[in-house]
Amino acid sequence: MRRALYVLIGVAVCAVLWEGYKLVGSPDGAVLLGVRVLPRADDLSMPHLWTVVERLGRPELTGGRPVWIVVVNACLFTLGITAAGFAIGALVGLVLAALMQRFRIVERGLLPYVILSQTVPLVALAPLVAGWNVLWPGWMTVALIAAYLAFFPVAVGMLRGLQSPAPAGVELMRSYASGWWRTLVKLRFPASLPYLFPALRLAGAAAVVGAVVGEISTGTRGGIGRLIIEYSREATSDPAKVYTAMLGAALLGLLVAGLVSLLELPLMRHRRHVEVVTL
Amino acid sequence: MSAVVVSSVTKIFNQGRTDEVVALSDVDLTVGEGEFVSLIGPSGCGKSTLLRLIADLIAPTTGTVTVAGKSAGTARKEQAYGIAFQQSGLFEWRTVLKNVELPLELRGTPRAERKARAEEMLALVGLADFAGHYPAQLSGGMQQRVAIARALAVQPPLLLMDEPFGALDEMTRERLQSELLSICAKTGTSTVFVTHSISEAVFLSDRVVVMSPRPGRITASIPIELPSRDDAGRQSPLYFECITAVRQSLRGTPARSVS
Repeated sequence: MRRALYVLIGVAVCAVLWEGYKLVGSPDGAVLLGVRVLPRADDLSMPHLWTVVERLGRPELTGGRPVWIVVVNACLFTLGITAAGFAIGALVGLVLAALMQRFRIVERGLLPYVILSQTVPLVALAPLVAGWNVLWPGWMTVALIAAYLAFFPVAVGMLRGLQSPAPAGVELMRSYASGWWRTLVKLRFPASLPYLFPALRLAGAAAVVGAVVGEISTGTRGGIGRLIIEYSREATSDPAKVYTAMLGAALLGLLVAGLVSLLELPLMRHRRHVEVVTL
Repeated sequence: MSAVVVSSVTKIFNQGRTDEVVALSDVDLTVGEGEFVSLIGPSGCGKSTLLRLIADLIAPTTGTVTVAGKSAGTARKEQAYGIAFQQSGLFEWRTVLKNVELPLELRGTPRAERKARAEEMLALVGLADFAGHYPAQLSGGMQQRVAIARALAVQPPLLLMDEPFGALDEMTRERLQSELLSICAKTGTSTVFVTHSISEAVFLSDRVVVMSPRPGRITASIPIELPSRDDAGRQSPLYFECITAVRQSLRGTPARSVS
């Protein structure tokens, strides 16, 4: 209950900041030594929030479907891609982390490239992946781009988690004659959960970004990324419209973050803070 | 048959490198069946190393370790010993009961049987009421008792303990010492116990093995025959004589035989 209240307060603060700036900011923004330091506050750059909400209710084009339905459909399309990308990315990340934990040489050889992989600009990579687009549908290409961003936090976070058990725990498993696999299942994996879940949340956010950018750079139709591009072309005549699509993308990100948080509920139930019994 | 036979074992860490350390040099040790042997010595004398060699957590550079007539490696694979460390090393995501069940689970013991056995072990260390708690809910002394219950769960013929009471306060320590003795007496377990407390070693042991550092070696083996292992035993003149004998050995003065 209290959390929901905080969320509402957060939204209200953002709305007040937006409208407040519109109220006091100069319509032409502020330019200091030729560099724009404050954005324009005119209706074209920053439409009123109620204009955006009202635009959601009106048809996309004359006689077309209302904008909100178009945005929701686009978000659902992108949500599917994000889910696929997230699943692939998380799986690849988990496998890489396990390999790196198992073989030190793999960690030494692979980890620099895992980190390097994230410095390659996505926009440069997307056409390359799209070029392989012979075996799978177009949305799969976008999912792969999303996975490319999502695997990274999982691989790095999970590696830390798998390496987190104290030597006493590892020695204990050895004293039980447990091999690598059983030690992984009984000790390393459960011990890594507090590292895994924050990593998964990052991966969820990364998958959304990957899906949106992937749609734009591969020209995949039907998703929210594409919709932002389409609507931004009408920004001069219909500035509120592009903000409806952006609102949709933001809500999509929140939805994914929320869904990922749900994953940890059943598994982290017993990690809550508890009172210590002293006897 | 002896519970443990260590013969002419040498352990060198980082052999052939500039940071080479001779942890143990030509060590011989025999622990009889049902015997309680303490290893005592200043830090760096290799007492924990010796315990880890017996447990086959590390391998000797030269020499052999035999546990219950088998090589240390075979004994480990057969879970022929239980082990407890200074840190309880409980798995925080498992309840107390599930922690004690762990070694049984890895052995493939059927669910009902391992639950019954774990409950029995918890009763032995006086924690039957805390089976459903998580380790984070227990105090340090209770966690250590759970670790001991876990070490005893497979009913091993040999118990290896590396300063299990090191992090506990004096009162808890003395109570757990008495509990450990009664458990060992009940189960007939042979025990190798690493400690740096002279009084603890004397109170618990049938024999105190004194070690000295650089390189780690055994300098004395002092048999202890207390009239009783209880508060009266702790106050008997013999107890203090033994403490003096161990202290002198630790200081390097020749050990006087104890009558």
